[in-house]
Amino acid sequence: MMKRTLVAGLVLAIVFACVFFVLSMPRPLAEDQLPDHSVNLSNGELLFWAGGCASCHAAAGAEEKELLTLSGGLELGTPFGIFRSPNISPDPEFGIGGWTDLDFVNAMVKGLSPDNQHYYPAFPYPNYQNISFRDLLDLRAFLNTLPPSPNKVADHSLEFPYSFRRGLGLWKSRYLARSESGPAAEADSQLERGRYLVNGPGHCGACHTPRDQYGGEIKERFMAGASSLEVGAGGDESSAGRIPNITPHTDGIGAWSESDIAYALETGFDPDFDTFGGSMVEVQENMARLPAEDRAAIAAYLKSIPAVSSEAP
Amino acid sequence: MKKALLVTLATVALGATTIATFAQDDLAFANQIDARQSFMHVYRFNLGMLGAMARGDAPYDAEQASAAANNLLAASKMNNRAMWPAGSDMSAAGYEGISFAKAGIWGADSEAGAKGQALTEALEAMAAVAGDGLDAVRSNMGAVGNGCKGCHELYRADRD
Repeated sequence: MMKRTLVAGLVLAIVFACVFFVLSMPRPLAEDQLPDHSVNLSNGELLFWAGGCASCHAAAGAEEKELLTLSGGLELGTPFGIFRSPNISPDPEFGIGGWTDLDFVNAMVKGLSPDNQHYYPAFPYPNYQNISFRDLLDLRAFLNTLPPSPNKVADHSLEFPYSFRRGLGLWKSRYLARSESGPAAEADSQLERGRYLVNGPGHCGACHTPRDQYGGEIKERFMAGASSLEVGAGGDESSAGRIPNITPHTDGIGAWSESDIAYALETGFDPDFDTFGGSMVEVQENMARLPAEDRAAIAAYLKSIPAVSSEAP
Repeated sequence: MKKALLVTLATVALGATTIATFAQDDLAFANQIDARQSFMHVYRFNLGMLGAMARGDAPYDAEQASAAANNLLAASKMNNRAMWPAGSDMSAAGYEGISFAKAGIWGADSEAGAKGQALTEALEAMAAVAGDGLDAVRSNMGAVGNGCKGCHELYRADRD
């Protein structure tokens, strides 16, 4: 009897280990999945600003030209521990200069490193996976033109079990489904462009959509506001603040016109002529570099999404 | 019956006193916070006049533009230290949802003073030309906004 229980337990453990092994397995793209593409550097630059790369990968407090040196090292304090943004400058040793285009696309779309380790979703690949391969190749080409940095960034400091990377494979199998965020609006090309910018490069939902206890975005509460994930490197949750609701609900920005939204993204002034603060300042200053029609598209799309109350049901 | 009523009344009175005491304790800096938030409203009000012109929502009016810009400049030069007592940040007990000021304002390496100075400089440039035409207002709005954002980026919490 005793022996039978032991054997059954062992078999069960092996089954669990196998299921875990399969579910958490990295699944990179293959070379032949990338399109033949002739690079458009100015489109790559647009994606660089739309994607807010510099906000996490340039040095803290960087401005103007310094924003182009993606030396990494920014500390993001979260309830899971401290994440440190990597050096993604074209330095071949400390940055990503040695990567192939496929390595880059796998990082952005699959959240995988060149040696097939899972990245933590503090890197917003669940949003970036919605970027088209051609746009990613343009972005990669633009990043290659930026100055290399020899900055060596320390590893993340995370608590167990979050420090166990393989486990992220399970997280991905639950949350990483391509192109399902936000309602579709194929009939209108401006709305479609806005949807793409918001849910792909803009990764607005990474902050504005609340997350469940495992850190996955709650789709039913798309853009309905969330408590700030960032708590400061010291873990000071009391100054974490609240990321606002940006749905068309009265709790959100229902009173803002499309032109108000576009103007706020261009200048940082809201309709009451208060300004953005906190992390939204950098986001806005990135958005200010996009063509006016892209800000208008974002505004049109944000007015089209479901209005959701800030109160969780 | 009478005794029960007395006891009830006494309990209610005690409770009310306790609540009032707590409220007073919690809001030691309520007046200062109210003053500085109202002061921000004065900024918004004047900026709104310039902004409405800049956005084309109101016709350009040289006199009004100049007055608004000069009000903003005068406001930025006021010594408002008394409105910003240490301990009135959002992480102080009782101030959550009332104050949105981060404790860093009072830190040894605070940049709040320098950011305020930068705002004054942007407003000096705006006030010097706000009466000269709509283009002058438009071309200075960005710098004024940067002046506001300079402090808000570092020291004002994200909020709904």
